Amino acid sequence: MDERPFANTLSQLAASSRFAQDGLCFAASMQGLLRSEDGGQTWLDAYQNLHLPAFLATPTVALSPAFVHDRTVFAGVMGGVLHSHDGGHTWLVAELPSPPPFVITLAVSPAYERDGTLFAGTLEDGIFYSRDRGYHWQAWNFGLLDLNVLALAASPEFTTDETVYAAVESGIFRSSNGGRAWREIPFLLDDAPVLSLALSPQLSDDSTLFAGTEAHGLFKSMDGGQSWVRLAPDLLRASVDAIVLSSHYPTHPHLLVLADGELFVSFDDGRSWEPWPGSAAIEPPITAVMAPEDLTRGSTVLVGLADGNIATL
Amino acid sequence: MQHGINLIIKAVAPTLGPRPRLVALSPQFGDTEIDVYDNAGEIARRILQIRGRDADVGAMLVRDMLWRLKNQVGDGTATAAVIFGTVYNEGIHYLISGGNARRLQTHLEKGTKIILDTLSQQTRPVKGKEDLAKLAESISYDPELSRYLGEIFDIIGAYGRLEIRKGRSRQIEREYVEGMYWERGLMSREMIADWDKLRTEFENATLLISDLEIETPQQLYPVLELALRNKIPNLIIVAAKMTDSALGFLLANKQPERFQVVAVTTPEYGQESQAAALQDMALLTGGRAFIKVAGDTFDHVSLDDFGHARRLWADLRNFGITGGRGNPRAVRVHIQKLRQAYHTIDDPVFKEVLLKRIGKLMGGSATLWIGGITEREVERRDDLARRTAAAMRSAIEEDVLPGGGSVFLECRDVLREQRDASTEPDARAAYGILLKAMETPARTIIRNAGFNDSDVMAELRLAGPGFAFDVLNETPVHMATAGIYDPAGVVKAAVFTAIKTAALALTIDVLVHHAKPEQAKPLGPTARMKL
Repeated sequence: MDERPFANTLSQLAASSRFAQDGLCFAASMQGLLRSEDGGQTWLDAYQNLHLPAFLATPTVALSPAFVHDRTVFAGVMGGVLHSHDGGHTWLVAELPSPPPFVITLAVSPAYERDGTLFAGTLEDGIFYSRDRGYHWQAWNFGLLDLNVLALAASPEFTTDETVYAAVESGIFRSSNGGRAWREIPFLLDDAPVLSLALSPQLSDDSTLFAGTEAHGLFKSMDGGQSWVRLAPDLLRASVDAIVLSSHYPTHPHLLVLADGELFVSFDDGRSWEPWPGSAAIEPPITAVMAPEDLTRGSTVLVGLADGNIATL
Repeated sequence: MQHGINLIIKAVAPTLGPRPRLVALSPQFGDTEIDVYDNAGEIARRILQIRGRDADVGAMLVRDMLWRLKNQVGDGTATAAVIFGTVYNEGIHYLISGGNARRLQTHLEKGTKIILDTLSQQTRPVKGKEDLAKLAESISYDPELSRYLGEIFDIIGAYGRLEIRKGRSRQIEREYVEGMYWERGLMSREMIADWDKLRTEFENATLLISDLEIETPQQLYPVLELALRNKIPNLIIVAAKMTDSALGFLLANKQPERFQVVAVTTPEYGQESQAAALQDMALLTGGRAFIKVAGDTFDHVSLDDFGHARRLWADLRNFGITGGRGNPRAVRVHIQKLRQAYHTIDDPVFKEVLLKRIGKLMGGSATLWIGGITEREVERRDDLARRTAAAMRSAIEEDVLPGGGSVFLECRDVLREQRDASTEPDARAAYGILLKAMETPARTIIRNAGFNDSDVMAELRLAGPGFAFDVLNETPVHMATAGIYDPAGVVKAAVFTAIKTAALALTIDVLVHHAKPEQAKPLGPTARMKL
């Protein structure tokens, strides 16, 4: 186990796209944000330069797709979004309109370097977007009939298709116009809430996306969300908190899920599953997962635990 | 009867296409100004009677068809009129030569199904504000209006709330409001908390929803006692009425920093509409609606009866909420039910009411302010915007078809096959009539633009499938490639209504006129004074 300053459930992990070289990664928790420069060996409080009088709950962290160049990190907190442009050393605060929304998920446009667009999902106030790299935010919830947003995912082809998916307490919504309006997509109300989303890197070709639910396991759609099939219902029985797809999906149909505190992996697009090596032996339960390099057999996986520890598997 | 039918059709046919000709109607009922129209449905509505009893029956038959169609889908009336005209006139021609009207009607209806199936194969979805703006332009022929409608419908979708209002300036303007609002405001100016914005805003607001009439302060005691006991910081009471003494009691609040309370009037008019609005509000906020006719009072109000919202605002005209804390699943199921009802009912007024309810529940609304230089221009554009908006809702729901009459031309091959395969004379006649009718919209558009329809149709035959005449560029173009579309729902409704009504009209053998009622004698001066 690695040293860390907080003892609190880790909710999300994020890493630099050059993790293998720079070893830079972040861990979000309800007591703040951790930062590591040695591949998760040692961790420091990322907010130390803010000199906060108390813990700042940070459920979510996201890195710019161009992090290697712009060193931009976003952290969702109660009442706003923090943004750093020096790799997480110093932070700027962008407040969201009162009453303070609790930002629990972030999605950064894959074309962030050009469009400066990102989305923030909140627990009660729907979705906010920023078109200026996180400095100013606006709520835009036309058609979003459920404002309890649990996960967001921007299409890999966001520049052309302007598509964003939002997982909410009662199902899934999609925007096809860059977040200006939201429409519900057919997902059974009984299977919701949806906790996690993962989009195929080839979404525009294969229309494939995955949704992890709170009580009914993992679902896959191959038509952009119009119809869904449940995967591995005997194994993935209850909550699926995180889904990691290979960056070469569907060529490498590798899929890792965090289900009920354990990690399971499929190397054949969800047809067969096996526990991720070492995950079953970990105590306490795993609460966050990240594959900083591509997801293959034997690749490194960082996991956050319910007691605030971080481990490498 | 045929004379009357053709009179109306000749009156409205010039309005078909992007270069419509205007139709002037002489003043009636004491008006002095001549009215000028470019919409077939509107023209038909204004023609109330024509000379000759038999002709009047024919005219009113077409008028009724066009008016129903306008109410149903908002557009397509000129297309329906010209298709109706061809089917009816060609049908009469065939019947005079000895055809059987009943069998002809049956085959015309079979042909209609074939046409509708062929149209369905050509539909495509419309999405994105550019596509939507193009669609709006193909309906309204007003580029500025279309640009705004494209943007608005890209955001609000088929069911979103759009208020079209007469303008505040010479230009068209639009405004978006997040959350939902109702057109009723604060009961007293004294309840305004922010005099700069002339409104009151609450965060994490509590609502009490009712249509009760509050006569005495005592009726409010249980509510206020409950709120204070539970340290509720703010409360908005929705009620049908509140007497001055009850309002005075609320305004006498000595500790506004601890507890703020305001009252707004129950939205909507009439018992049913009010009950529906309260039901929606209760669902959105997770509260209970206290309904007067159900015998509800505030006597036993409990904490569970209060609705809640993240934000609430009220001014003297409106009040609205953002982030109602009702059960989102229940809201979605409720919207689904309202949508189903919207599709199953025919009554246009009730449909409009349902659309408004759905729109309010969708979590945002748009307002389009129609500007213009003269009042007449504003009115014309206002009507145009409403018609275009109705057709666009249909297009988003039911997709679009290539415009310019090209989709009807595409139906000719399959009709020709049917005609050639038929051995029965009435069937051959029916398919032949429909073949001709499918050319009428394209021919009319070409003629209205001042071109020779026979010459242009010959060009279109050479150009190939999918081509029609682009009137604005004065050349044949592939309509889908050029992005010229019509709402599929409108096109289908127009062709279905036109052929079905014409087929029915062809079976009419006898007209029975009611005896003219005896005219009441004009009252003399003494009688008028008594009244």
